[in-house]
Amino acid sequence: MRILLEKLLINYPFFFAIILFVMGAFTVLTRSNLFKKLIGINIMEGGIFLFFVAAGNIKGGAVPILVENNPGMTYINPLTSALMLTGIVVSVSVTAFALALIIRLYKIYGTVDARRIAEMRKEVKERWQE
Amino acid sequence: MRDFVLKRIVAVIIPFISLYGFYVILHGAISPGGSFAGGIIVALSVIAFATIFGLDRAKEKLPEKILVWTESYGTLWYVLMGLVGIVKGVPFLSNRLAGINLGVPGTLSAGGLIALIGIGVGIRVASTMITLFFTMMEEEK
Amino acid sequence: MAGVITVNLPVFLIILPLVAAFILPTIGRRQRLQENLLLVVGSLGILGAGYLAYLVMDGGISSVYQMGGWPAPWGIELQVDGLAAFFLLVITFVLFPVFLFSRGNLAEEVGGREKTARFYVLILLLGGALAGMALTNDLFNVYVLVEVATISCVGLVSSRNHPLSAEAAFRYLILATFGSALILGGIGFIYIITGHLNMGFAAQELAQVWQYRPHVVWMALIFLLTGFGIKAALFPLHLWLPDAHSIAPTPASALLSGLAVKGYLICLFKFFYRVAGPFLLQELAIDKIMKWAGLLGIVLASLMAIRQDELKRRLAFSTVAQIGYLFLGASLLNTRGLAGTFFYLASHAVIKAALFLSAGTMLAATGKEKVSQLAGIGRKMPVTTAVFTIASLGLVGVPLFSGFVGKWYLLLGALDGGDFLSALVIIGGSVLCAAYLFPVVRLAYFEPAEIEEAEDPGIPQKIALVFLAVLVVLLGVMPGTVLDLAGRAALDLLTP
Repeated sequence: MRILLEKLLINYPFFFAIILFVMGAFTVLTRSNLFKKLIGINIMEGGIFLFFVAAGNIKGGAVPILVENNPGMTYINPLTSALMLTGIVVSVSVTAFALALIIRLYKIYGTVDARRIAEMRKEVKERWQE
Repeated sequence: MRDFVLKRIVAVIIPFISLYGFYVILHGAISPGGSFAGGIIVALSVIAFATIFGLDRAKEKLPEKILVWTESYGTLWYVLMGLVGIVKGVPFLSNRLAGINLGVPGTLSAGGLIALIGIGVGIRVASTMITLFFTMMEEEK
Repeated sequence: MAGVITVNLPVFLIILPLVAAFILPTIGRRQRLQENLLLVVGSLGILGAGYLAYLVMDGGISSVYQMGGWPAPWGIELQVDGLAAFFLLVITFVLFPVFLFSRGNLAEEVGGREKTARFYVLILLLGGALAGMALTNDLFNVYVLVEVATISCVGLVSSRNHPLSAEAAFRYLILATFGSALILGGIGFIYIITGHLNMGFAAQELAQVWQYRPHVVWMALIFLLTGFGIKAALFPLHLWLPDAHSIAPTPASALLSGLAVKGYLICLFKFFYRVAGPFLLQELAIDKIMKWAGLLGIVLASLMAIRQDELKRRLAFSTVAQIGYLFLGASLLNTRGLAGTFFYLASHAVIKAALFLSAGTMLAATGKEKVSQLAGIGRKMPVTTAVFTIASLGLVGVPLFSGFVGKWYLLLGALDGGDFLSALVIIGGSVLCAAYLFPVVRLAYFEPAEIEEAEDPGIPQKIALVFLAVLVVLLGVMPGTVLDLAGRAALDLLTP
């Protein structure tokens, strides 16, 4: 038990990253408002970004920008941060696309509640076919 | 939002925001940021203009044709820069192997191909964000 | 000049659709030019993929291509082996008829002539992303390409001018992004333990390290299976697929069901076989999970397909069932089973594209949606219904058609592993498949016509449909070369 607590205290960024991930996943799956689902996706991806960036950190490492040729210096791992830049771009694009879809759904259905939208499917379809 | 004070301040500050955006794009290899973040900052200056001075004036200055062209050709610039290596016989997207002189580490030319590609990608990202903003503002009306 | 093209052929095959996608928005007004550009891209793609397959089988091309000249642990590599060549052939041979089919046919489904450019851009981006997925050897590169493909697929689903398309697209987007976050988590776990992003190096490191951290490896593999399972419509995670694939425009449905879900499956193959390896899969019981999910998928999705009355929804549930076959094949850890899986993947891609394109033509020409309303269409639209019949025979697995060869090798692979339940389900699945496809054929040919006017589509669409039907028959009658390539792909995958 004590070893578990020690390991948890040393690896606290990963712990919080997993908590964020689970919170985001829970929000996506249980909330019925479309905006909340989108925010849940963003929180989930935030957790993953924190996970990766914390994985690249080295205690006492310097910022990974090569200014002079110093062979003994420890830099933190720049790879993980660079990968997460790409991940952030992807997250922004998905958010933009989802927002555009929500606007379109609001125009057609008049509500942003997923359950009401599912109920209104039949009437909207019949109304369109006339 | 069309306030007197806001208009004066934004008119002074927009060039500095754009300049800062271009600075972040060009210094992608040697400081945090890079093409994506710099492109967003450049787009922010145009978005500030559109918010304060009105969507129609912004659309006059940046008609849709320019935005579509920068989007397409910014990305094609990336592919073109990658093909520089292929013309010289080395794999796609080669930096030092393609004979680009990587100068002293820590200066602007240290990235070589990265800064060149970054300009194209940065302009492209800026025009995408501006298009997104204009589209969403259109929906408002 | 020829040397430059040969050496850089893998990269050219990825860049080709992407460059066309970037140029297309600037010629958005001229529809003829767009369609001709698409045909040029499609033909160049087929030629390039065929040449690449020839080079791979002959040994005339190096099996790794380093982007930017950076060697393995630092740079992104493209692995040009049997698997890449095989999947590139599948992609190009299905993309070309779809391009041909959308000539002049697209405008009313997407809501206007100005919106066809956007549709073509999405298809080309999807094609480029799938080509990249076939070739890549880098873990994070897979994630980027998966995201590009996902956003293109969701865009394709939402581009139909129909009120339900936004809802189907939104559900697809949320679930697919959920899957992407899971995939990224899985990649993160593997990167943290092994410290490498290159698949070969990660595999070597993983083989040494996994016994000290079996739980982390298990988590990584489960995350990857769930994430890719959501995107590739593995059985309990397929809930977005019937709405999305039935509401998309017809050429998009053909591509989504035929190619996109297969692309994610190929990535899953790369993760599970190249990085983890068959030994690890058996050790951590991942293959059992895939097998049972596949078995349940085949049976339950086929049963649900029988109950659907709308034709496109029936075909969408059929896709879920056939993906069950592919996952069942993925869990057979022997060469014959894997070769059968790859051949079945190719044959299903062609068959599903033919089914969706012909079904879409029938529905568009008559204006109906349900199977029961399509009585007697065989006499009014002979070419289209003939293609539908040939594709149905292929899917069921009648001998002389392509599905039979694939199912035969899957059966042999299952019996190789001593798994009689799987063999039974494979055969049972064919019976269920006949149960939901043959009634359509029977209604089309043997019932009196209830529809007033319907006629066969124009020349480009007819050529596309006949092209796919001929492929189905060719793969069934002369499967030799493709089977060799599939076997080579399986061998390249199983031996590191």
